[in-house]
Amino acid sequence: MSEKQEIVKRDEHSPALRQVPTVTPSVDIYENDDELLLYADMPGVAKDAIAINLENGRLTISAQRNIAAEGEVQFEEFGEVKYERAFSVPQGIDINKVKATMDNGVLNLHLPKSEAVKPRQIEVQTG
Amino acid sequence: MHSQWNDFDQMFGAMDLLRNRMGRVNRLFTDFDRSWGLGRGWPSVDNWPRTNLYDANDQLQLVAAVPGLGKDDLNIKIQGNYLEISGTRKEKAPEGYTAHRVERGGETFFSRSFTLPVEINSTKVEAHLKDGILTLKLPKAETAQAKRITIS
Repeated sequence: MSEKQEIVKRDEHSPALRQVPTVTPSVDIYENDDELLLYADMPGVAKDAIAINLENGRLTISAQRNIAAEGEVQFEEFGEVKYERAFSVPQGIDINKVKATMDNGVLNLHLPKSEAVKPRQIEVQTG
Repeated sequence: MHSQWNDFDQMFGAMDLLRNRMGRVNRLFTDFDRSWGLGRGWPSVDNWPRTNLYDANDQLQLVAAVPGLGKDDLNIKIQGNYLEISGTRKEKAPEGYTAHRVERGGETFFSRSFTLPVEINSTKVEAHLKDGILTLKLPKAETAQAKRITIS
């Protein structure tokens, strides 16, 4: 009985029924002595629509892309999606200094290494 | 005994056929909106950039996903109902870094052309670029717009 009511009550346009596909963004990952640098292609994602989480050595990126367009669809090769991807991050990343920017639909994520893991030149002293 | 084997063969043959068909359908679904890359580099030129076209009565709207391109990297040409978008995505591999993973495919030139369903008034076309999405507003030419005829 209660189940029946539930079905009737649901509105056709309720957000729960709209399925947005989840895709993984393509990424480039670079490293130098000071930091790890990650680029991710996420066209259509505004900088407020992205969440970056770094917890227990696990970096997760999730974002939502909305497409605003008017008119009848003639053809469509991409649409609204949810971007999601997770990475394992090595120890020794200075979490407080992580910096992210969006540049023309590309996420630039800088993960600086903490001082302890940076390579260090040792000077030989004459004694 | 022989005929039985044959039956088996036929059955498996049919299953294989079915699986191939389904594979193709599945690929259709996964290719839609799959991020280009994933080890394959950019797909063929006529597949990039991903583009949508909408028809809103008095104008067409073309939306293309061009991540990493600035407005100076893009060229848009229109003539009648022929539209061409081309550009170069500059490689952003930073200097002095070692690469761990490269899926986005470095510097790439692309060019994609469309034959639009109607003629366009090319003097009134607007183009915007935001968050890696190029939006073109293409007003239809006077002759291509539907006219309402009043009966006198």
